[in-house]
Amino acid sequence: MFEIGRVCVKIAGRDAGKRCVIVDVLDKNNVMIDGDCRRRKCGVRHLEATRQVISLSKGASNSEVVSALKQAGFDVKEKQSKIKADKTEKPRRARKTKINAGKTKKTQEESNSKKTI
Amino acid sequence: MPAPRYRSRTYRRVRKNTPSGINKIYYKRRLPKAAHCSDCGDVLKGIPRGRPAEIKNLTKSKKRPDRPYGGVLCSRCMRKMIVKKARQDV
Repeated sequence: MFEIGRVCVKIAGRDAGKRCVIVDVLDKNNVMIDGDCRRRKCGVRHLEATRQVISLSKGASNSEVVSALKQAGFDVKEKQSKIKADKTEKPRRARKTKINAGKTKKTQEESNSKKTI
Repeated sequence: MPAPRYRSRTYRRVRKNTPSGINKIYYKRRLPKAAHCSDCGDVLKGIPRGRPAEIKNLTKSKKRPDRPYGGVLCSRCMRKMIVKKARQDV
């Protein structure tokens, strides 16, 4: 029943209710899953098998699984990489102190120079 | 005589031995009842029991289990529901 390509529903943990596909069978009780949930090792007791089976090779990558699931008519959220492509750093705001509050940069400098004299 | 609000049993009474050796009564608000599963009525695990103000300051992950229907259904009822739904879809 739990063979490679079998579409399942996770019934435990934070991914419960999400669809996944078996990518690899590790032993009698454990399988490797991927799809709408995180790619991970999973006990068979945490899965509910459905009737659908899609053709997948053993150890198929995430992108392969997602495209295969989409072809079979499932809507799958594609993973977005955590690193943003164009991350422009914002200029840091000057720290407000009680003395310098409400003053522009020039006046700040002036007041500092006056102190030193 | 205690203050009027302390004469009813809305407050819990806690006896404490103070450092000076006097046995004093402290008045504390009673705890609300523990969270229950809305399906089977079992007490939910992983949800702290305390005054709202105490629970408010906890992090989100300390307030309820991180799963669908966490803090509403117990894990068994959630699993039953999802299995039922998965079988209906097919």
